[in-house]
Amino acid sequence: MPETPVPAAIEARDIVRSYGERRALDHFTLDVPAGSVFGLLGPNGSGKSTFITLVAAAEQPPSGTLRILGEQPHAALRARIGTVFQENAQDPLMRVGELLQLAGRLFGLSRKQATARAAELLEVFGLGGRANDPVSALSGGMRRRLEMARALLHDPELLLLDEPTTGVDPEERRALWDALLHGARGRRTILLATNDLAEADEVCEQVAFIQAGRVVATGTPEELKRGLRREAVRLTWEGVTDDEISKIAAWPGTGDVTRSGNLVHVTVDDASVFVPRVFELGGHAIRSVTIEQSSLEDAYFQYVSGRTPREVRA
Amino acid sequence: MSASVTACTALFVRDIRNVIRSRSQLYSSMFTPLLFLVFLGNGVSEGLQPSNLSAGNFTAYLVAGAVVMTSVFSSTFSSAAYYRDRDTGVLRMLLSSPHSPRLIILGKSLAGVAIGLTQALVVLLVAAPFVEFEWQYGIARGLLIAIATVLLLNLLLAGIAQAVASRIQTMQGFHLVLNLLLFPLLFFSGAFFPIDDLPAWLGVLARVNPLTYAVDALQLAAYADSSADFIGLGIDFVVLTVLAVGVYALGLARMPKLTWSGQ
Repeated sequence: MPETPVPAAIEARDIVRSYGERRALDHFTLDVPAGSVFGLLGPNGSGKSTFITLVAAAEQPPSGTLRILGEQPHAALRARIGTVFQENAQDPLMRVGELLQLAGRLFGLSRKQATARAAELLEVFGLGGRANDPVSALSGGMRRRLEMARALLHDPELLLLDEPTTGVDPEERRALWDALLHGARGRRTILLATNDLAEADEVCEQVAFIQAGRVVATGTPEELKRGLRREAVRLTWEGVTDDEISKIAAWPGTGDVTRSGNLVHVTVDDASVFVPRVFELGGHAIRSVTIEQSSLEDAYFQYVSGRTPREVRA
Repeated sequence: MSASVTACTALFVRDIRNVIRSRSQLYSSMFTPLLFLVFLGNGVSEGLQPSNLSAGNFTAYLVAGAVVMTSVFSSTFSSAAYYRDRDTGVLRMLLSSPHSPRLIILGKSLAGVAIGLTQALVVLLVAAPFVEFEWQYGIARGLLIAIATVLLLNLLLAGIAQAVASRIQTMQGFHLVLNLLLFPLLFFSGAFFPIDDLPAWLGVLARVNPLTYAVDALQLAAYADSSADFIGLGIDFVVLTVLAVGVYALGLARMPKLTWSGQ
């Protein structure tokens, strides 16, 4: 049966946005599939936060087109979007419960609904019993969790997270993601802007690398890693000859080949293609094979450090 | 209740609660004008014995000015809350809600107006038993006139403060501009001395000063025993109403946008 295409929760086409002389988004084009956890990765100032804010504001860009949840941007759409900004949006004079009550009322919940939902989310985010505490009495990690609870209060279809776990310790980070993804996979679209590549590799189904306001690569983390000539294969090869080294160096998909006695180090596009082939050539003379997997970080540096932009798709 | 009214009310309640929690802001707006009354009023009344004042009691004369001064302080403090919201990121959260920025600012500024109105009336009511007021229209009607005057004055001041806040990036700059703008207005509004016998140039400035009409209406409501030597309630209210509505609308005209920095 043919696969039904997943509708896009966000469709950005050719968006240009400038602040004075600086072009924050430069013909920015991206599809974020509905129900996915999608990562935006790029260096500081690459345009991630600008794009997140544009979507959060549900504002028509000055140039290019944007569709959010299948609609043209308009103010009422913001009721279906939750946003965690890079910095907390919390008034230290307020109490935890009051902050959530205010957010609930702004997003159309009744007092009763807001109270019930706030209590539920405070439990989910490990802040049960803190509703009457002043916001200023919470630790940094707790404030970040409160921020998540605030953004989820109105059960948004689209959740925008701008570096949500900055300054959060690893244990707390794990708890945050567990709470965020609890029951959300496939039901809520999450757009995550982050500099934390390991985090993106772990939680995102798809990612896009952004550089200088442009999308330079998109795909699943696996696709992006596969797109690298970064897998390293180490061989222990008894009696390997110069002729054999020349042969494997000439194969398509092979990068650098270095030899030191019986030890051969090869960088390849895809070890799953290279290894069977090298066994055909070397046979039993190959005593051991070690494959070092490339990471999303490798992919990030390849695409974002100025190599040729290309889109990697399955 | 519509979603907009609900949101506006929630913001109003939140800002009122914040002022009540911020004790220094709550009391300082009233404390300074009351100090003026106690020390300047008694000092001038006893030490200089001003003969131009109809009742001969400078403290009673000064009450209207103290009420206006309270409103000036209060509106300045309340509008500064805009900067606190911006700096704590709360403004970004408010602007990411489905409501228009105008509604957000409306809810916040109405809270400022309510606080200014309450504080100004507290100063009036605290001072009233200690000075000789004439209440020429009776106490109840005099109080109603005072309430209406202070309400219009606070709308006007909230409009001015919001218009300034939407154009000035820093809170320090905001306070500087408002002090430069409002304090001179306070000095030649009749708050501290009658404007009738001022030099011609100062008299003209007093007549184009919106605070003059608020001081005049308050003095007519409580202090004066007749309308002679005053501008008159009719003109006072026409000027205050037109300016309050116009300037308040101007204050809401330039709205903040949701940006990465929330500014």
